[in-house]
Amino acid sequence: MPLFFNNKNRTPLGIYIHVPFCRSKCQYCDFYSLTTKEDKVLDRYQDAVCAHIKETGPLAPDYVVDTIYFGGGTPSFFGADGMAAILNTIRKSFKVSSTAEITFEANPDSVSDRLLRRLRSEGFNRVSLGIQCDNDEILKKLGRPHNYAQAVSAVQRIRKFKFKNLSVDLMFGLPGQSLQDWEKTLKNVLKLQPEHISCYGLTVEEGTPLYEYREYCNLADEDTQADMYLSAVEILRQHGYRQYEISNFCKKGNVSRHNLKYWNGEPYLGFGPNASSDFGGRRFTIVRDLKKYIEGIRHGGQVLQEVQTIATRERAGEYLSLRLRTASGIDPKAYERQFLLPFGPLEKCLQECKERGLATKTFDGRWHLTPNGFLLSNSIISDLLVIQDKN
Amino acid sequence: MTDLSKIRNFSIIAHIDHGKSTLADRLLEECSAIDKREMEDQILDSMDLERERGITIKATAVQLNYQADDGETYALNLIDTPGHVDFNYEVSRSLAACEGAVLVVDASQGVEAQTLANTFLATDAGLEVLPVINKIDLPSARPAEVKREIEDIICVPAEDAPEISAKNGINIHSVLEMIVRDVPAPKGDRNAPLQALIFDSQYDAYRGVIVYTRIKEGIVQAGMDIKMMATGATYKVVEVGTMSPKGLTPRDALGAGEVGYITASIKTVSDTQVGDTITGVENPAAEPLPGYRQVQPMVYSGVYPADGAKYQDLREALEKLKLNDASFVYELESSIALGFGFRCGFLGLLHMEIIQERLEREYNLDLITTAPNVSYRVTTLDGTVKMVDNPLDYPDPMEIQLAEEPFVKVNLMAPQEYVGNIMDLATSRRGEFKDMVYLDANRVELHYDMPLNEIIYDFFDALKSRTRGYGSLDYELIGYRPSKLVKLDILLNGDIVDALSFILFADNAYPRARKICERLKENIPRAQFEIPVQAAIGGKIIARETIKALRKDVLAKCYGGDITRKKKLLEKQKEGKKRMRTFGTVSVPSEAFMAVLKLDDD
Repeated sequence: MPLFFNNKNRTPLGIYIHVPFCRSKCQYCDFYSLTTKEDKVLDRYQDAVCAHIKETGPLAPDYVVDTIYFGGGTPSFFGADGMAAILNTIRKSFKVSSTAEITFEANPDSVSDRLLRRLRSEGFNRVSLGIQCDNDEILKKLGRPHNYAQAVSAVQRIRKFKFKNLSVDLMFGLPGQSLQDWEKTLKNVLKLQPEHISCYGLTVEEGTPLYEYREYCNLADEDTQADMYLSAVEILRQHGYRQYEISNFCKKGNVSRHNLKYWNGEPYLGFGPNASSDFGGRRFTIVRDLKKYIEGIRHGGQVLQEVQTIATRERAGEYLSLRLRTASGIDPKAYERQFLLPFGPLEKCLQECKERGLATKTFDGRWHLTPNGFLLSNSIISDLLVIQDKN
Repeated sequence: MTDLSKIRNFSIIAHIDHGKSTLADRLLEECSAIDKREMEDQILDSMDLERERGITIKATAVQLNYQADDGETYALNLIDTPGHVDFNYEVSRSLAACEGAVLVVDASQGVEAQTLANTFLATDAGLEVLPVINKIDLPSARPAEVKREIEDIICVPAEDAPEISAKNGINIHSVLEMIVRDVPAPKGDRNAPLQALIFDSQYDAYRGVIVYTRIKEGIVQAGMDIKMMATGATYKVVEVGTMSPKGLTPRDALGAGEVGYITASIKTVSDTQVGDTITGVENPAAEPLPGYRQVQPMVYSGVYPADGAKYQDLREALEKLKLNDASFVYELESSIALGFGFRCGFLGLLHMEIIQERLEREYNLDLITTAPNVSYRVTTLDGTVKMVDNPLDYPDPMEIQLAEEPFVKVNLMAPQEYVGNIMDLATSRRGEFKDMVYLDANRVELHYDMPLNEIIYDFFDALKSRTRGYGSLDYELIGYRPSKLVKLDILLNGDIVDALSFILFADNAYPRARKICERLKENIPRAQFEIPVQAAIGGKIIARETIKALRKDVLAKCYGGDITRKKKLLEKQKEGKKRMRTFGTVSVPSEAFMAVLKLDDD
């Protein structure tokens, strides 16, 4: 590994902080998080992340950080002081742009006035609030630690403290949820007028409690889930939200700049257990184990569990698989220029998709998927990857 | 050359799993032919596949030097035989190289169909049959009863049969003594013209074909010109010798009564057909040894590389396998759906599975195999008779005067309480009941005439499951009989997939067609559009299923930029798609081809 990476193109950098603490574990969640609030553990975590940031900063001297994202876990549960300390360490170790997008994730039950006031004054300017659903019964089934009234109150307080960029997370395909329930959720949430909405279809992951009783909790079938998705796209469009990625919608000018980096193949560095990075031509993921992370940072040792150098050929695959998640899609000319690969065979496949109403070609020659195409994106992308491998 | 009186040629016969190979191992150990520490389980079964499946696929021979209780040293030639009906002819030739057969019977299972079939083969070959009761250490062992069974059912004295445990090395010595005492010494005149029986051969990259042989008359030595009497091929002998478990031991000469090997720079095993007689070019024998028969494949199937680009690799692998297996035949075939591949002929389903597995394992090939079928005899209106072993060659129904299919005589054996189940099964497979014989108070043998086509798919599995594993089976070809046959075509999204077509008995067409459509529906992944799956006879659709279009296949979230996980998922999906064959617009995984082969009522 070189000592540091120079950045002749002046590409901005994203920073992701994984905060692995929650009040309780949701039934469907397979992200790395612990349900502890022992001061000692939280302090050690914070020390390790700060030390990690300090030692990494000098490796990227030319980069300007333009997005910072605190995800989890539940950062709001971890607390304002810890987040502020980490953010300050970032500011000391990296050049952070004055217009940086600085987001933290929050749950409705842990956004106190104190927390909001503190974080706003530290420079946080975007909140991603996990509402998920407006039905308290379903929220309870999912093991969410809040009800819908708390979510509404959280939004009011977030506004009170002058956060102008609010995103809410919603989920569909939940246990016992009908298409009508989902449409009602959307309509209620629209009244809160968030700048940004993410709609995630529930994925039942192996190893989660939900996986064990998935047969018995009345989950929506594939057709219903597809209908829910399409209906969300339509309702949000009618209310002035633009779909810019498979699961993400926003009012004009409010895309999540941080999340877009993932789809556009731009560099980001992750800190904290199980955080991922794409930096210096490599992707790497930190160990999914808080203790090992802390030990590794303190005493020197392996904190990465997976490192992959991404060859240009592989970047070409990523270009297709990540960009096709976005509404701006792929640009044949840029593809051919960047990877020196022919676009013709891919175009033929996309043309067939177009005939089935799954893809569209724009007037300037770009290809992107339609909402129906997004629903089948894995299938379409893997078709394209097969074709790419043959040429 | 060893004196005739000091030679014993024998083979071990048994029903599958009764402990034949384990006993062979113990005999080798007892004669210190191999050290215990070199002992790999079942040394005679040298292929991984043989060890795994617990079956012997190829015959092998080995010479043991045994110092008997009488103080004399004997050369014991153990000729291991394949243990499956598919290889009955090979078994018969191996037995013809012996004077005696050790019959291993499991002390708890008793006599089974193959025990019987193999014993008959041995007695037909004029062999002394010497029973041994194995696995006597099992709690369920009932040696006395099993001995009575042997005497009652196969009419071989068993009173003094050694009671052994091959697994635990109990009483192995008594088996060796029995062999020396009761297997007749070979006869033969070493001054007579050479007559050597080929019972197996094996291709070696350095020496060419190594022929395993039993010298019946005369002698053979290096430098001699020899001739294969059936194929007419002639060669100059490079080396002769005997086989030890550790390899080949060259000898000056092999004489009548001995078992050994011959090398003669022979390029292909097809010149050394099992059962053929080797004689000298000078002073040839007047006639060959009896019993030679050209091997006929019974089951045919198309074998294609899953990845069309691997066609050359498949061809090379088949060539190599063929070097060692004269009973397996193949010829080029091309399918619209699958591209270039081979139509292969096998001795039976087991043989087919073995070849496929070897291609996949030893040559690392992914294969698509089409439904196995038998060879049909079709007489067209103009009187031409042709053999059809490929559904693609089946003539238009309007041109057929007479269609015939091969029939076999099937012997089924099981405890009496399963007679009903067996009869149901045999009847559902168009079995024509011949008779039923009580072998003893409890065991029954049923005889049926049955179309070969009905037993090549899954009959054996079905029999096992309907008799809780107690049923056993043996069959032999009895000839062709007129039949009502049709060709069934399968259409995906409106296009015929020729590789899925097959010939079957007309009355079975409807249920079979329905089942195949169902199976395909289960095994073909849903696509971005709806796929009709249809079965047709001569353009008339007789069954249909629909594979609904896929509506949702999306990863909602890639948390915190964890792209790697998404990539792995797509990578897996991509590799899966690469393994599929595309027919028109429909992608079919190779498992779908396999699934339509197994259609038992489950």
